[in-house]
Amino acid sequence: MRSKRGWFAFPYVIWMALFVVVPIIIMAVYAFTAADPATGATQATFGNFTGMGLYLSVFLRSFWLAVLATLVCLLIGYPVSYWMAKEGPRFQRLAMALIMLPMWMNFLLRTYSWMSILENNGLLNQLFRAVGLLELLGLDHIQMIGTPGAVVLGMVYNYLPFMILPIYSVIVKLDNSLIEAARDLGADGVRVFRKVIFPLSLPGILSGVTMVFVPSVSTFAISNLLGGGNQMMLGDLIELQFLGGAYNPHLGAAISMVMMVIVVVCMVVMNHFGEGEEQAVIM
Amino acid sequence: MKRQSRVGSRLFIGLVFLFLYLPIFLLIVFSFNAGDSSAVWRGFSLEWYSALFQNRLIMESLYTTLLVSLLATAIATAAGTFAAIGLYSLSKRRRDALLVVNDIPMMNADIVTGVSLCLFFVAFFQGWGAFAQWFNSVQGAVELPTRLTLGFTTMLLAHVAFNIPYVILNVAPKLRQMDKNLVDAAQDLGCTWMQAFWKVILPEIKPGIVSGALIAFTMSIDDFVISYFTAGSSTSTLAMRIYSMTKKRITPEVNAVSTLLFLSVLALLVLNNVREIRQERRMDRQEVRPPSFLERLSMRFHQPSWKWVRRGLAGAMACGFILAVALLSGAAYSQPVVNVCSWGEYIDEDLIAQFEDATGIRVNYQTAESNEALYSLLKSGGADYDVIVPSDYMISQLIEEGMLEELDYSQIPNFELIDQRFRNLPYDPENKYTVPYSWGTLGLIYNANMVEEEPDSWGALYDEQYAGSVLLINNSRDALAAALFHLGYSVNTTDEQEIREAFELIAGANRRGVFQGKVMDQVFQKMEGGNAAIATYYAGDYLSMLDNQADDVDLRYVIPEEGANWFVDAMCVLKDAPHYENAMKWINFIASTDANLANMDYIWYASPNTQALEQYPAYYEELYGEELDPELYEIMAAPAQVLERCEMYLVLPPATRALYNELWVQLGA
Repeated sequence: MRSKRGWFAFPYVIWMALFVVVPIIIMAVYAFTAADPATGATQATFGNFTGMGLYLSVFLRSFWLAVLATLVCLLIGYPVSYWMAKEGPRFQRLAMALIMLPMWMNFLLRTYSWMSILENNGLLNQLFRAVGLLELLGLDHIQMIGTPGAVVLGMVYNYLPFMILPIYSVIVKLDNSLIEAARDLGADGVRVFRKVIFPLSLPGILSGVTMVFVPSVSTFAISNLLGGGNQMMLGDLIELQFLGGAYNPHLGAAISMVMMVIVVVCMVVMNHFGEGEEQAVIM
Repeated sequence: MKRQSRVGSRLFIGLVFLFLYLPIFLLIVFSFNAGDSSAVWRGFSLEWYSALFQNRLIMESLYTTLLVSLLATAIATAAGTFAAIGLYSLSKRRRDALLVVNDIPMMNADIVTGVSLCLFFVAFFQGWGAFAQWFNSVQGAVELPTRLTLGFTTMLLAHVAFNIPYVILNVAPKLRQMDKNLVDAAQDLGCTWMQAFWKVILPEIKPGIVSGALIAFTMSIDDFVISYFTAGSSTSTLAMRIYSMTKKRITPEVNAVSTLLFLSVLALLVLNNVREIRQERRMDRQEVRPPSFLERLSMRFHQPSWKWVRRGLAGAMACGFILAVALLSGAAYSQPVVNVCSWGEYIDEDLIAQFEDATGIRVNYQTAESNEALYSLLKSGGADYDVIVPSDYMISQLIEEGMLEELDYSQIPNFELIDQRFRNLPYDPENKYTVPYSWGTLGLIYNANMVEEEPDSWGALYDEQYAGSVLLINNSRDALAAALFHLGYSVNTTDEQEIREAFELIAGANRRGVFQGKVMDQVFQKMEGGNAAIATYYAGDYLSMLDNQADDVDLRYVIPEEGANWFVDAMCVLKDAPHYENAMKWINFIASTDANLANMDYIWYASPNTQALEQYPAYYEELYGEELDPELYEIMAAPAQVLERCEMYLVLPPATRALYNELWVQLGA
């Protein structure tokens, strides 16, 4: 199979050259140019990058919250996929569809719903008030909206299915005889999981982590809607350059490029981690 | 022991499902709300469902959304699966390099992907135009179209482009997991590669393909930014419609359409499940059924001797697809059209049908999210609108940059009905480019039950006694305008010192925790539900909040003594508009008194039409059978002595706009 079907990738390479590489080059041109404020003429410059230090806090927050959201997604998503794979096949198919279905409702509507749940006078606080929890604590309300926690919640909510699906699709096809063999050789449940199941599910975890972490970094609107606007993230910062009053696509492209370089570095490091697993999978 | 862990695991899965479905449940509940609010319940009603089926804009965009999502998912899943198989046949080094490129569309901020794809398509169209002109000039047999525009096809290509990476990411781990000897074994046993693919590889990697397809569909159906920049001026997805509504308020019709979508998918799932249960029962009973006609056909189909049939069919399908896409993109040219871009929820939609019936011109009615989003799209060359409805300051910027066409007022007799107060305004001093659409004021909205004394100054926004319950408007221009008014400066000042002083007023309040958050249209939910005490917003929207406030909320509107901003949104025509004559007809129609009355009643922003302003109270009384509260009418259409205290925004020089932006980032960072 190797080498013989390599040409299958060829149309995709051309496609990527057109729809991925060319637009990236266009953006790179934007990132390395700037409009002269006086004349409006564009000229080549590094100026978009030199001022980036100003946004350090936004960079740090974005990556930190994205890491947090990815971890939470993994901690919730892995057990769900693992246990789902243990249920009957009909339940599995249904559950997989049901996990995706909420994401087909519009993102804004879902986030607005979360707002009305987390609001100071929202559903949860009304519930707390009704059961007397607030009185017990001597509070008027528990502040949930406008906190970094709410932003992480929003991201977890939006990306959790992207963690569950790839992990599940790997676990469900795990070779059961390997697990039995490990048991026969005297490994207990924890050991079987650590030495056999977990390493074998790494490819799924890598895909899941990629699909959660990468879009989380550039996520926008969530921080505005749930974070109260004081938790600006990279996606918002970039959006502001295109859709804000100042309209500076050059700076927006530059920030996006720096962000992508950092993400690529993260991915390379992570893939390096996952390298050992290639031997673990029987080829 | 075993039993217990099963209960624990199911409980955990149940909790995760609760987490996933709680907001969906709420969203569905509010589709049955009698009011406009998505936070305050005002009784059960089905009005949004009946309104939905009469709403052409939403129904059309729903159709577009489903079509583009399904097509993009199908194409991306097939292409991504084969690409992944191909990638796994390459050496590891090449594969890893290609996989990094594969991830780029995911890593990039959506808006950057959208804008760069838009620029790419526009550049390609320009190249094509030059080629087609040359081609048409050297030969006469085939006439190539010289003017291509963004539309459904470009949007579909963009969706496929951002979907493929997700499919590959889901299929790749399954390929890694697969025992490669299986394929070799199958081929050794006499399978062709294609048979090995269908019988061995596909069943092995199927879970990956299914999850890839599910994720691709999800990404497509939820995408807004990339669609916005690649859809052109006659196609619109549901997500685009919804985002554009945030300029005013998202109507529960959207909740209704989401609920219907949700329930139909759920019904399909249940049906499928029932079918599967039946099938399993039959299997249990060991019933052996002779293969059906379709099954026999499919068995025959995969035999090696049918190779040419398969290839022929694949070729025919490819040709059919290309033809269908070509037809779809060509279909729009058959009827006279006018491309209009306005804001969401900013027109009484009956007017569109009335205009179409009267003139036979089809209206492609697009909606944008904000002046800035519209500007960004125009700058990228992604829209060939005829008529747009920007606000005052944006109009002067567009005029300054030579992006507007002068109007032919001889074709717009209804311009005579526009009140003198709304002519020759600073954004268009000689009134060569614009016909006003609506106007209003920006003031303070407060919940009288949450404040000690009724505020009449912008200072209330920065007052510590309201700490945690003030909403700052999430737009640098409006937020700084309030501070500038409070300090007694002009909202159009370019003096850096004054602007920084105003900013310090906001930043100081922010440090002291006065602001609960920065909001745009979330203001409805927050004020109506009694979650905040004070906000800055538009008069017309205050009236809509008043109709939907919770029982313990008492909202009031005031124009502070320091003065406030007043705005005009006006219709203009873009330079090189493809349908100039039709644009004049549309503008004239919308400027009529009847259209102004209908719009005024629908959007609750005041009209610039003298007769409509005079007749509205009577119109209201006739329509609703009760008198219009004169105080409310004064809020909607501010009287001259109030307007005297108000100041209009002018376009700021680029350096000042950059300063605004920089300060705004500082506030959020």
